[in-house]
Amino acid sequence: MAEQHEEAADRFADGTEISEQELAHRKEFLELGEEDVARLTAINDLARRYADAVIEDFYRHLLSFEDTRSFFGDPQVLQRVKNMQKEYFLRLTQGNYDLAYVEDRLKIGAAHERIRLPIKSYLGMYNFYLRAVAARLVDAFKKTPDEAWSTFLSLMKLTFLDIGFAIDTYINASERTIRAQQEAIQELPTPVLPVREGMLLVPIIGIIDSLRARQLTEQLLGSIRSNRARMVVIDITGVQSVDSRVANHIVQTVEAARLMGARVIIAGISPEVAQTMVTLGIDLGRIMTVGDLQSGIERAEQLLGYVVTRSRSGETATG
Amino acid sequence: MRASILKQGSVLIASVQGSMTDADLAQMRDELVLDVRRHRSTGVIVDVTMLEVMDSFAARTLRGITQMIKLLGATSIVVGIQPEVAFSMVQLGLTLEGTNTALDLEEGLALLKGPRIDHHER
Repeated sequence: MAEQHEEAADRFADGTEISEQELAHRKEFLELGEEDVARLTAINDLARRYADAVIEDFYRHLLSFEDTRSFFGDPQVLQRVKNMQKEYFLRLTQGNYDLAYVEDRLKIGAAHERIRLPIKSYLGMYNFYLRAVAARLVDAFKKTPDEAWSTFLSLMKLTFLDIGFAIDTYINASERTIRAQQEAIQELPTPVLPVREGMLLVPIIGIIDSLRARQLTEQLLGSIRSNRARMVVIDITGVQSVDSRVANHIVQTVEAARLMGARVIIAGISPEVAQTMVTLGIDLGRIMTVGDLQSGIERAEQLLGYVVTRSRSGETATG
Repeated sequence: MRASILKQGSVLIASVQGSMTDADLAQMRDELVLDVRRHRSTGVIVDVTMLEVMDSFAARTLRGITQMIKLLGATSIVVGIQPEVAFSMVQLGLTLEGTNTALDLEEGLALLKGPRIDHHER
């Protein structure tokens, strides 16, 4: 069953996955059927005749607005999109609205997304086109206005199918960016910082997954050796959630550190995390934990035998 | 291969060689116990710096050493577990619970000379 699904889906260059079933479903939802296809192919000749004029009007409209003009400043870009747009318009009346047709739509959507054209402008373009064609249909079907209207409705169904795909392109691009950013955040290494002789601080931010936990542990153990650390404060203030898996990672890290002679204090347990841990029945055993980083550092200093006092004069002003 | 056991004042230092077999380790354990008794040592440091792999037998043997020496009234500390070894040990669930640990020989000696060590420290 899973194999069938994989064969049917077509993965396009930008990562969108549209299957035959999905396309059929969308057509069904828009009530786009064979009759519509017939009406559209019937006006293909008409479309050829008005294509250039519509395109010119179209881009004249775009260039007359400051916010859309800026996207077509480069004459090469402008010519390229004009050509693509003409092909697109003609394709609307050539029938055969299959997966290959969809792929083209996605490509055009992607091209506009890439130059950062806002989706509102992109949708505005469809609006312009439909109105331009409506006018010409009324003109061409003067004797049979019903047919103009039916043809227009068919065209509207098809353009809405296209708009759906165009929006998908924009959304996919956004999702890709978000994913890339998330990966970048994940890849930021957690620093292991010596804060006193014999004391290391490990501030963890974000999500702890198995890979990160492993990297962190390896790094920490290496630092324990090179810094001859006897105390480690692991600060989890910035960790989003602590579940059993995360707790296990923490326990393993603490045990490994202990084998190298270092004691660990887990600092930064928020009230919410404390609640979650008790609710989930997570027990850190005899691992020392404290509520905030300050307490963690103070406790570690204490255990190392540091006595911190404040001198009366404090910092002298610089002249 | 014989384990090397050196005496430094009231402390015995046993260095585990990388190529020691299970039998060698067991023999080292037995010798240590006798030596502690003979020299009336108060502390034992088991240095496993050269040990590349800690398996469950080695871990059990180390715990055995700790327990026996404690019964004789002395304190033992395992030192020199390397990062890679520590990592694979916890993955295998070998935590040497109840055993004192320190980074290396220097730290181990400092620990023995210092304030009282809590045997139940985790």
